[in-house]
Amino acid sequence: MTLLEAVQANLLSPAVLFFALGVFAALVKSDLRFPEPLYLGLTIYLLVAIGIKGGVAISSAGLATLWLPGLAAMFLGALIPFWTFPVLRWTGGLPAADAAAIAAHYGSVSAVTFIAATNYLLSVGLPFENYATAFLAIMEAPAILIGIVLCKLATRQPGEAVFPAVKSAAHEALLGRSVLLLVGSLLIGFVTGSAGMEKVAPFFVTPFQGVLALFLLEMGIVAGRRLGDLRKVGPFLIGFGILVPLVNGALGVAVGHATGLSVGGATLLGVLAASASYIAAPAAIRVAIPEANPTLYLTASLAITFPFNLTLGIPYCLAVARWFYS
Amino acid sequence: MKLITVVCEAYAREPVLDLLRSAGARGWTLFGVEGEGARGGRTADIPEFSNIQVEVVVRPEVAAVLLERLERELFPRYGMIAFVSDVQVLRAGKF
Repeated sequence: MTLLEAVQANLLSPAVLFFALGVFAALVKSDLRFPEPLYLGLTIYLLVAIGIKGGVAISSAGLATLWLPGLAAMFLGALIPFWTFPVLRWTGGLPAADAAAIAAHYGSVSAVTFIAATNYLLSVGLPFENYATAFLAIMEAPAILIGIVLCKLATRQPGEAVFPAVKSAAHEALLGRSVLLLVGSLLIGFVTGSAGMEKVAPFFVTPFQGVLALFLLEMGIVAGRRLGDLRKVGPFLIGFGILVPLVNGALGVAVGHATGLSVGGATLLGVLAASASYIAAPAAIRVAIPEANPTLYLTASLAITFPFNLTLGIPYCLAVARWFYS
Repeated sequence: MKLITVVCEAYAREPVLDLLRSAGARGWTLFGVEGEGARGGRTADIPEFSNIQVEVVVRPEVAAVLLERLERELFPRYGMIAFVSDVQVLRAGKF
């Protein structure tokens, strides 16, 4: 499969086409919109579905196979802000608060991008470690906390403590609904194993693709509405939003390769490293770094990096992984 | 009696409610809203990106404290507006 074919297979999947439809609906100012409860319902469904599936996979693979790539994934997420922060601060000339906020978003992860990547691997027939969902769960919070610490260290007045801001954000980052649902359903999947999976499969497995398509339609609308903000963020951040996933994606694949994951698993770790958070990170950052401008970090992660990864970033990570393993 | 109406970003929910309680309000009403203002349009389909409106009826002396604290503690941190109106209430003892 060439890179072009890989991209084509991704762009012509129902999920990505529905995303495009959503962007189109927002651009032409259609009256199409999802009610808030439906949006919430779809996110809960998706997180629980992949959580259970991941938990069952952990129970059959055993924790012994998981700890090394899991630990590596956590460190990878936590380390990403250490190189993105200086780039934003000194190459981009952004204030410390904005640079730290954006760095936190890019170190953290996007669950939907991950789900779309697993979907893509299924469609091209490449097996992957289902327990990779655990990486999604452990990569969400560390970078957010690191970003906040970086900001507080850079902007600290003499004698000011760093700890309170980190503590309030830690609650958001560790007990926000996405991490809570993911970790909770991973545990439930782990405890119940494949016998439990059989009971819920008709609800959580069979309709999954349809729900994902519907959810991406809504994400297309949300991202499409933000496209107008691209004018406000300037060319540096647009370039950043595309180049950073390329670098982090390759880093993620390399870490996956080094810790013994399969081609599919390394691709997923690459996609996780390449993705940027837009739900958990903004919630925590808004509380801990209120002086950072939300237009910058939300536009970068939601209107630039998310569509980029969904369309090109995912097949790119697969191509990098194939190159690594050949 | 004074009716204080606060319209703010959804992230400010807990800080606003904490402030209301500690300033002496005995209850509140909250609903999700959408609108447009200094920070652009705020649509209501993703709860984190939407606005909320908090309404609270308090005695005039509590209202003064509340508004002063809102302005000092929360206005610098969150997207937020607040306004006060005179209202007549039934069962004044509840406030």
